[in-house]
Amino acid sequence: MIIEALIAVTFVAALVVFVAPDEVAGRLAAALSVLPVLGSLYMWSSYDAAGNALTGGSVAFETMVPWLELGGYTLHWHVGVDGISMPLVVMTTILTSLAIFSAWTPIDDRQSQFYGLFLFMEANLLGVFMALDFFVWFIFWEAVLVPMYFLIGIWGGPRRKYAAIKFFVYTNIASLVMFIGFAALVFGLGDSVSSFDLPAISRALRGGELGSLYGVSAETLKAVAFVAMFLGFAVKVPIVPFHTWLPDAHVEAPTPASVVLAGVLLKMGTYALLRFNFTMMPDQATAFAVPIAAVAVLSVIYGAILALAQQDLKRIVAYSSVSSMGYVILGLIAYNTYGVGGATFQMIAHGLISGLMFMGVGVIYNTTHTRMVGDMSGMADRMPVTTGIFVAGAFGYMGLPLMAGFAGEFFIFKGAFASTVHASMPLFTAASMFGIVIVAGYLLFAMQRTLFGPFRLDTDYEVTTAALHETVPMFVLLLCIIALGVDPGLFFRMIQDAVNPLVGGGLP
Amino acid sequence: MVGAFDYAPAIVLLPFLSFLVALAGGKYLPKGGAFGGIAATAGSLLLSVWVFLTVSGGETHNDTLYTWVAGVSEETVSLELGLLLDPLSAMMLIIVSLVALLVHVFSLGYMNDEGETGLPRYYAGLGLFTASMLGFVVADNLLMAFMFFELVGLCSYLLIGFWFRQEGPPSAAKKAFLVTRFGDYFFLVGVVAVFATFGTAAFAGPDSFPHIAELAMPGGESPDGAVNTFGFDPRTWFTIVGLLVLGGVVGKSAQFPLHTWLPDAMEGPTPVSALIHAATMVAAGVYLVARMYGFYALSPTALAIIAFIGGFTALFAATMGVVKREIKQVLAYSTISQYGYMMLGLGAGGYVAATFHLMTHAFFKALLFLGAGSVIIAMHHNENMWDMGGLKEKMPVTYYTFLSGSLALAGIVPFAGFWSKDEVLYEALVHGLGGSTLLLGAYAMGLVAVFFTGFYTFRMVFLTFHGEPRTETARDPHGVRWNVKGPLVVLGVLAATAGLVNMTPVAEMLGMPGIELLHKWLAHGGIEMTTSEHYVTLLEEQADYHATHLSPLVPGLVSLGLALAGAGLAHVLYNVPSPERHTDKLGAIKTLWYNNYYQDELQVWLADGVVRPLARAADKFDQGVVDGVVDGVSSVSLFAGGRVRRIQTGIVSNYAALLTLGLTALVLVFGIMGGWFV
Repeated sequence: MIIEALIAVTFVAALVVFVAPDEVAGRLAAALSVLPVLGSLYMWSSYDAAGNALTGGSVAFETMVPWLELGGYTLHWHVGVDGISMPLVVMTTILTSLAIFSAWTPIDDRQSQFYGLFLFMEANLLGVFMALDFFVWFIFWEAVLVPMYFLIGIWGGPRRKYAAIKFFVYTNIASLVMFIGFAALVFGLGDSVSSFDLPAISRALRGGELGSLYGVSAETLKAVAFVAMFLGFAVKVPIVPFHTWLPDAHVEAPTPASVVLAGVLLKMGTYALLRFNFTMMPDQATAFAVPIAAVAVLSVIYGAILALAQQDLKRIVAYSSVSSMGYVILGLIAYNTYGVGGATFQMIAHGLISGLMFMGVGVIYNTTHTRMVGDMSGMADRMPVTTGIFVAGAFGYMGLPLMAGFAGEFFIFKGAFASTVHASMPLFTAASMFGIVIVAGYLLFAMQRTLFGPFRLDTDYEVTTAALHETVPMFVLLLCIIALGVDPGLFFRMIQDAVNPLVGGGLP
Repeated sequence: MVGAFDYAPAIVLLPFLSFLVALAGGKYLPKGGAFGGIAATAGSLLLSVWVFLTVSGGETHNDTLYTWVAGVSEETVSLELGLLLDPLSAMMLIIVSLVALLVHVFSLGYMNDEGETGLPRYYAGLGLFTASMLGFVVADNLLMAFMFFELVGLCSYLLIGFWFRQEGPPSAAKKAFLVTRFGDYFFLVGVVAVFATFGTAAFAGPDSFPHIAELAMPGGESPDGAVNTFGFDPRTWFTIVGLLVLGGVVGKSAQFPLHTWLPDAMEGPTPVSALIHAATMVAAGVYLVARMYGFYALSPTALAIIAFIGGFTALFAATMGVVKREIKQVLAYSTISQYGYMMLGLGAGGYVAATFHLMTHAFFKALLFLGAGSVIIAMHHNENMWDMGGLKEKMPVTYYTFLSGSLALAGIVPFAGFWSKDEVLYEALVHGLGGSTLLLGAYAMGLVAVFFTGFYTFRMVFLTFHGEPRTETARDPHGVRWNVKGPLVVLGVLAATAGLVNMTPVAEMLGMPGIELLHKWLAHGGIEMTTSEHYVTLLEEQADYHATHLSPLVPGLVSLGLALAGAGLAHVLYNVPSPERHTDKLGAIKTLWYNNYYQDELQVWLADGVVRPLARAADKFDQGVVDGVVDGVSSVSLFAGGRVRRIQTGIVSNYAALLTLGLTALVLVFGIMGGWFV
């Protein structure tokens, strides 16, 4: 029942904040957002499941009750966590809570609605990561889009409407493509499943029970469904060339929304890829290894090159996310313990680090009212603490050892290089690894020009040191990043445990 | 019984602790946290000495300390951090902690007494730098080495860019990190390849990757296919992997073509330069090759490449050092050149010789940088040698210690550098004559560089200390205190005497091989398969390296003669009351050298002329084509187009209400159908 409680508390918190007066909404939301954090930490500390939820492993905090009948299919309220979803749940609650604190300064309009939507989004995100029934999952999945749409569309920058609609329509069409692909699979399974239960579907698909549908052979059906679902999730991740909604959404979104957008929403895409495509159809994943590895490399390198060209700090971090998500795809396709496990770990690491970077950009923006690299210089002189944390975060992004990003990337590289899915994997790995040079290039150039050198600011604002509610969340994130870098086992142990059954026992 | 090895982790942790203390509380501590750093490095030095003594008693240590990542299933490789304490690392620990301690003390004079701000940040950086390097030295596997290698890079970034309010230092810091990162890319691919090939990255012991590689060679004990060589024959694949790792070495040890960051790094405070050049960052690269020498010894191709990079860099950098005006610039190019010698030694099969040069160079280069720092204090932070002159009488302690370092750098008998450089060249010669003729080319370059070294070193000495003072500041220099002189004296003595531990030519002449202490040190008592004796066997069996028997006397005299000739030329030209700018007579060559063969321009062009336009073009393509298609599709579609128009002109909250209503309705319908509310 803890999962229901966690989601319900977050929903209720959203409602309470929504009707609270604007003056207290920020503080109230921050206080209430601590509850899900505590709840998820409790779950994490008493987590005792083993194996993968979709391949017959035990599921922690599981609830499964029949909900309704629909055309011969039983829909269940089925939730639970395993080693893949548990870390994502913890990361979601922590990141959302910290983002709410960091919103106190920039959000000065319609606060109760802002924070209400924020918590509403968190509740749905938790649902996405914990749902084990397709129907339940899909409702949460779609419902996440709504609050984010408003957060961008109401509190965003000058082109907020364009960005919000692009985000909403693009990802929604993608969901439709994915939905059709998945529905085809379920119908293809025929009588072997009578529900939308994800573990049941997964077991059936892995057990080779897919039949032909309307004269389409099982193999073709599977390939088509795999591609449809891959494309659908690719938009969400995003994978090049479906990434163009992301920089627009980030640039226009208010910074706290960017934190959660980059930190958690992107992980919905990679999480779903892992749960659906790579868990249910490993044979297809292997068959498509080369094109998938190629788009992974393309995402890493092309995204990083685009980041090089940007002058807006937020756009730099946004494109760098495209690059980092490319690593996740590479890890998934490697299909061994370090590859898939590393990809999962990288979801957490990137969530925390990109959250920290967006917060850092936000703090600078709050006081200078510009994010353009050319508009400022020498901020370190006026904002030493912010600069220190920002530099640390940037090095985290560059994959400095003993920080979470290095662990995630190294696991992926190690796994992908040794991968046996295709003989060309070492080459793809080596090519994508060049991203670690480009990321250092654009972050170091940006820092040199904005943070260091003689102080200069081209906007008419007095630069003040950041408030505690801005620096403390960044500091907390930094500590989390270092803790995970020093002891990746905090999450990586349960991740391995959940990944091993997928990839056929432990692999080097 | 609790012994030195139980306390060995503290060697790394003490400076790390001083980093935390300075970072958190440096503001409230006297001298900005300097004393914490001094105490920590002194503690590290004492423990290192203890470890050294224990190792010299024949004990070694090779054990995991911390499991970074534990594999959950049996088959999953665990990633571990551990300590490898053997003769090589024990020696290096003393060098690093000693130089770090002296640099900390010197900083009291260079930073505190000069009224610098930001001292806690400075001492925190020094502490982390020292800790990272010590961690690198004791690393027992390649992954751990890479991790600390990167941390060393971070620290160099932080310290080179210490004066961040100016334009130069942040730019130099960025360049240092970026150029070395480029090398580290290859290193990381190499680390991953080592794991994929051997399933382990341990340096020493029966399950270490150099040993597995050795067994997998043709004629080795392992059956064919025991390791995954990705379709190559073992020697080719090991060469590729070795060269990948070498990328990191070339970057950090500032070898051609990735040396360009090092002269720029002079923007950092001078004690930091001493630390970077003598004992930490730059030394890390060469040390890594020595650490996994058993792996390189399997590949004659990799060895030849190492030797050629080294020989070429030694000469290439020495030529540029000839024409520099600033004292620290001369030293910077001398560093590049000297590390070239170490690479030459390693590539030529002179494992002991290169390690020897690593040690002597650490002492005399730290000395020269600290001496230059003392001069810079005296000159009120003017570094131009043409503004100096005649400092000899005003600062005798600095002069005589600096002279000791210069004699060592130039390779004049009996100072430390002579013995080690001579042995490097000797190894290249005997292995070259012994059949690996390619090495003779590298030897020739190294030999020519000796002449240049003698010349630029003494040009620097004479311009700085001899002749008439050429400016007011030089006539009345700023005094320095004990905290500057103390470290200089310690290092001055070491620069004069450290070479005596390994006087190969003398041993040969007197027929007393017992006095080659370093040879004995690295040959005895180490962990099996990481001793210099084993490396010699490997070189002979695998790399076909054979040493001709040749008396070291003649080659030694040749290189000494060249060094003296260079120094003598400098004496004739510059040891006069008012020296002229003789290098101007070199004309176009001087311009070429002064501009570093336009290497920096090439790199700037690569960044600004190639990468930037490429990125901008990619951005245009992305905005115009990739995103254009998305926008195009949405506006072509009438339905979407109409909706977009309506929303854009309408009020967002209307749409909000619609969406929320729709969703609620959906859930309600399903709820009622499923009998939820019954």
